[in-house]
Amino acid sequence: MALSARLLALRGSPFLYKLPPYLSALCVLVGIGWILLLPLNEYSRQTYVSENAILPGQVHTYFGGSEHNIFRAFRQEVYALSQQSEDARQAGVLKVLADSGLKTASQPYAYQVAGESINGTNVYGILQGPRADATEAMVLLAAWRNFDDQINYSGVALALTLARYFSRWSIWSKDIILLIPSDSTYGPLAWVDAYHSICIPPTASRNISAVPLKAGALQAAVALDYPAGPWGQRFSSLDILYDGLNGALPNLDLLNTAVSIASGQMGIACTLHNHGTHSDSYRDRLSVLGSGLATQSLGHATGPHSAFIPYHVDAITLKTVGDGWHDEMSLGRVTESVFRSINNLLEHLHQSFFFYILLNANRFVSVGNYLPAAMVLAGSFTISALGLWVLSGRDDVLVAPLAGGMAKEKVEMETVKLGSDVALVPRQSTRTIQRELFVPALSLLGVHILGYIPLWLMTSLSRENLLLGLRTTTAVTLLLPLALAATIRLTRSQAQMLQSLSLILLGALLATLATLNFSLALVLGVLAAPLAFVRRSSSALVAAAQGILLAVTSPPVAVYALQRMFYPAAGLEKLLLELAKGWSAQGVWLLWVVWGVWWPAWIVGGVVVGSGVMSASSEPR
Amino acid sequence: MHLSTLLSLPASLALLTLATVYASPHSYTEHLHLLPLPQSHLHAHFNFTATTPLSAYESSHFRYFPRSLAQILQHTRTKELHLRFTTGRWDDESWGARPLDGTREGGTGVELWAWVDGGGSKTVPEERWSELVNSLSGLFCASLNFIDSTKTVRPVRLFEPEGDHGSEKGGLQLLHGMLPHEVVCTENLTPFLKLLPCKGKAGISTLLDGHKLFDATWQSMAIDVRPVCGAADGGECVLEIQQSVSMALSIPRSMRDRHDPIPRPAKIEDVQCDESKPWNGHDTCFPNAVTDEPAWTLSKVFGHAAKGACDLERNDQAFDVTLEVPSDRPVNATGASELTFPSTTRRHYRLSASSSFDLSLPACPSPVNPMALFTPPLYATRQIAGHGQERGSMHTTLRNPHAHPLTLVYMESLPWYLRPYMHTLRLSNGKQEKLYYTPALDRERGTHLELVLTIPAQSTTTLTYDFEKAVLRYTEYPPDANRGFDVAPAVVRVLSEHGGFGGSYVRTTSLLLSLPTPDFSMPYNVIILTSTVIALGFGSLFNLLTRSFVLAEEVPPSPLAGIIRRARDAVKGLLGKKTGGDEKESKAADAQAGETAEAPSLAKERTDGKANGIANGHADLRERKARVVT
Repeated sequence: MALSARLLALRGSPFLYKLPPYLSALCVLVGIGWILLLPLNEYSRQTYVSENAILPGQVHTYFGGSEHNIFRAFRQEVYALSQQSEDARQAGVLKVLADSGLKTASQPYAYQVAGESINGTNVYGILQGPRADATEAMVLLAAWRNFDDQINYSGVALALTLARYFSRWSIWSKDIILLIPSDSTYGPLAWVDAYHSICIPPTASRNISAVPLKAGALQAAVALDYPAGPWGQRFSSLDILYDGLNGALPNLDLLNTAVSIASGQMGIACTLHNHGTHSDSYRDRLSVLGSGLATQSLGHATGPHSAFIPYHVDAITLKTVGDGWHDEMSLGRVTESVFRSINNLLEHLHQSFFFYILLNANRFVSVGNYLPAAMVLAGSFTISALGLWVLSGRDDVLVAPLAGGMAKEKVEMETVKLGSDVALVPRQSTRTIQRELFVPALSLLGVHILGYIPLWLMTSLSRENLLLGLRTTTAVTLLLPLALAATIRLTRSQAQMLQSLSLILLGALLATLATLNFSLALVLGVLAAPLAFVRRSSSALVAAAQGILLAVTSPPVAVYALQRMFYPAAGLEKLLLELAKGWSAQGVWLLWVVWGVWWPAWIVGGVVVGSGVMSASSEPR
Repeated sequence: MHLSTLLSLPASLALLTLATVYASPHSYTEHLHLLPLPQSHLHAHFNFTATTPLSAYESSHFRYFPRSLAQILQHTRTKELHLRFTTGRWDDESWGARPLDGTREGGTGVELWAWVDGGGSKTVPEERWSELVNSLSGLFCASLNFIDSTKTVRPVRLFEPEGDHGSEKGGLQLLHGMLPHEVVCTENLTPFLKLLPCKGKAGISTLLDGHKLFDATWQSMAIDVRPVCGAADGGECVLEIQQSVSMALSIPRSMRDRHDPIPRPAKIEDVQCDESKPWNGHDTCFPNAVTDEPAWTLSKVFGHAAKGACDLERNDQAFDVTLEVPSDRPVNATGASELTFPSTTRRHYRLSASSSFDLSLPACPSPVNPMALFTPPLYATRQIAGHGQERGSMHTTLRNPHAHPLTLVYMESLPWYLRPYMHTLRLSNGKQEKLYYTPALDRERGTHLELVLTIPAQSTTTLTYDFEKAVLRYTEYPPDANRGFDVAPAVVRVLSEHGGFGGSYVRTTSLLLSLPTPDFSMPYNVIILTSTVIALGFGSLFNLLTRSFVLAEEVPPSPLAGIIRRARDAVKGLLGKKTGGDEKESKAADAQAGETAEAPSLAKERTDGKANGIANGHADLRERKARVVT
């Protein structure tokens, strides 16, 4: 009469069959609540520079004096070049670089996305460290046009001045590459792709020429974004951009170095996600955390630095913000000091965190503290899936009252013996039914394959047809579950199996995704949470309520919501184009995750709800 | 009285040396060649050549030839030796062809190749090579001893002996090793200078200062030992050692004040502004490109002037310094006599033993470069492409700038942990004449890849192959902080068109190979943590399993305690008997003893009863427990 006997008896308990949805709901609540706890002092930490070799801000910076005069002239020169043709501009930049003693080269690139072509040329120069051995390099980036499509007058001029200034030092242990791409997203991407490419076959969507001049392994990259015009503009703070493609992040040490130099040595306030007034309160921390989750989950480039991070080249962008009293020389000295620190590195940046959530320029949550949130969310799907799987193998007669919670009629009991233990259980609970897995498995596979149709539509249609494509997809998505439910005609057990398989796949994928792009897994986990709770119901009211809940949280509706939240001014077409560009040119997984993971799971959820309505209408009791 | 003899000793020694100089081909010459390069650089080539007759060498009689090196060569039976210490890069796009066709320079780090008398055996040369590198390691304070079998290759076509080996040639074996990671520094320069007869105290060698030499954009120290049999020495063969230092200095950088070498921004007055720019003003200055060669003096470029002369031969025709500048350029030389030779661009100077030599040249307004830059025989770059920890690809670009096709020997010596896939070897343009390939053996031998290629006129050829990165054992990683593993440069020998010895050498830069590196602190943390957990878990579990739990009363009395008690009782008994005679004391003692003797017995009874009760109770408990268990 031990515990095993009780467990044996519990096997048939109605309580167990009812438990999974509640456990799932608990998981969802814990997951969301967990995120809300993170900004608290107990769960976050003060940042610190982990790599001892970096020594941030330990050197005196000398950038100033006559360099200021030269900077002003370069800024005028950049302005003058901006008035000229593209070829003349490139030639002008190349000449300035060559006169400073750099080896220069240029690299044209072209991408074809959604019927549009993105063209440009990367102009770059290599400052060969006088005593370096050509095995390592660091990159100073100043895109000709910044991420907001403004001409980066002061940024380019500052980079040119710094290149000239750096060339006089003999301390460089690594070469310095000065890269001036035409734009902030695709230029750096083309350059860094070509730099690491084993062979460069031009494909339909990208045509990148090889990089003619190289300088060893890249160690870090710093981008300058300072679009002040030819007469200058002082700034109040530096916004540090750090998100890479697909949610990859640079080593936290690089960010800490920049923050510690800018705020500690130069007295320039540092912000994240353009969160200007940060009072370090819970609200502000949560807001920065939210911005971080949003940009990371979208996974698109947030600045010129983004393209470097997938290649394990740690990179950040320093962007000037506001109107204050810091001038270009301060930014120049910050950059000088950051480069001196990177120059100190003996090893590739590896000491500090690669997985973190920032709450503030000097406060972060490490992976151990935040990862459980997404894992618990993913777990909610797995728990539901297991519960459904057990139910799908049970007899209808028994399960109906059990699942309904009321066992009114008398159930026939039988005794079960296990060794010396004996238990009295309902007869039905020991009877298993054959699971007919073929139809659910095939349906699941089919739905997943179908998911590639919207993916293809959203990435391959030309710009003007994208909107039509989305509308069609929305209409088809909302109607497809009903149509499928009407054609496939799943039994109760099959519907449960289908949902179970779909949820277990979703849970596994989300858990995997959480280790790669935590934010995307978390956001998707929250958006897809209703899928774990929808059930086949013959009640029209319940089915309708579930249908509405699903429709509200459907992938196409999420795309509309995304536009409302992030691109309110630009319009839906622009958003769709950006997403398509992200997929085709930047290689962002977001669309695949939406249409290849979420959408099939959503369709399956819809089919399950729909099949209840269908069975109710076809077999009225 | 002995003073005169003492004083006369040096004189007689000097006479003796003079006599022997003319009697035997012991000779020593030194020479410095200075050539301004474009982009404000200066090329300086120091050459110190000493010879000793082979007969004297074999009888261990040395004069100018460094004994320490000679003994190593004799012991290891090395017939020809080439040792290079190189840092930096020669910028052949700006400066043209490499000095001496690249024959006196090495790849980044240390490079060593030697012809060793093998004695017809296969293992003997390797043993001798090992002795050689270990001895040289000590002599030059370099990690040459790390050139083990994994870093040694035997090139087939890349090198040819420079010396005259006569009939011995057949038995010589060439071994070649490179250490790309070695950082060449002052500690290598000091032993280098020690080998010189004047030891850096007089003559041009006084100009060699570690601060300036290692701040050069490119520098290569070379030692070449070879036997020379020429008619000039009356047919007797001599062993020649050439020590050379070749460097390309940036004039503005080396002209900086030694006490304040920080390149602060120039004063605005010193910046040449482009006044044609419309925005040129008091606070805006577009700098003109610096094309002029700045003024320089020898003493500032090298830190100090050359002191005295190391003129051991007293050869009136010899000159110590050659400056290669246009004849119309004013040059101010002090402390030396200028020798005139019929040359328009070269000026020769002979140092005087008593004064210090300095050269000063004013800024050259027009960047006249009379020595039309010799086009390099070949431009070669080599890079590792690809990313990730598993695979990579080697890309070598060879550009032939000439109007005739080039035949060249291309050699790579790869570490064993870089495993090339030879089936992916592609040559985009040009023809592969021959391929010599020795595959690597893990931890025993590196890959040796040697190709003979023909590259068409004015074309670029890309040589690519893919490779795999090996996973090292954890002890094979360097113990200190490191950026990765260095791959030795490729060496290219461009064969001369008209055959014969020669050809020029071009070396690529070394490469950085990042291997999959475990986070070494992580296993440490894991080991510490798991050990703690296991220790706690195992300890408490083991404790529970092996310990039998009983009530305190069930514990049988320890035999040792019994022995002690009996011993104590015995002692007490004895004491009792002894003190029996003393009445007064014994009374009191008895009284006390009676009390104490009674008290324990009572206590014992009480505890016994209690123990019984508890024991009974315990038995009940045990019974109950047994029932539960069954």
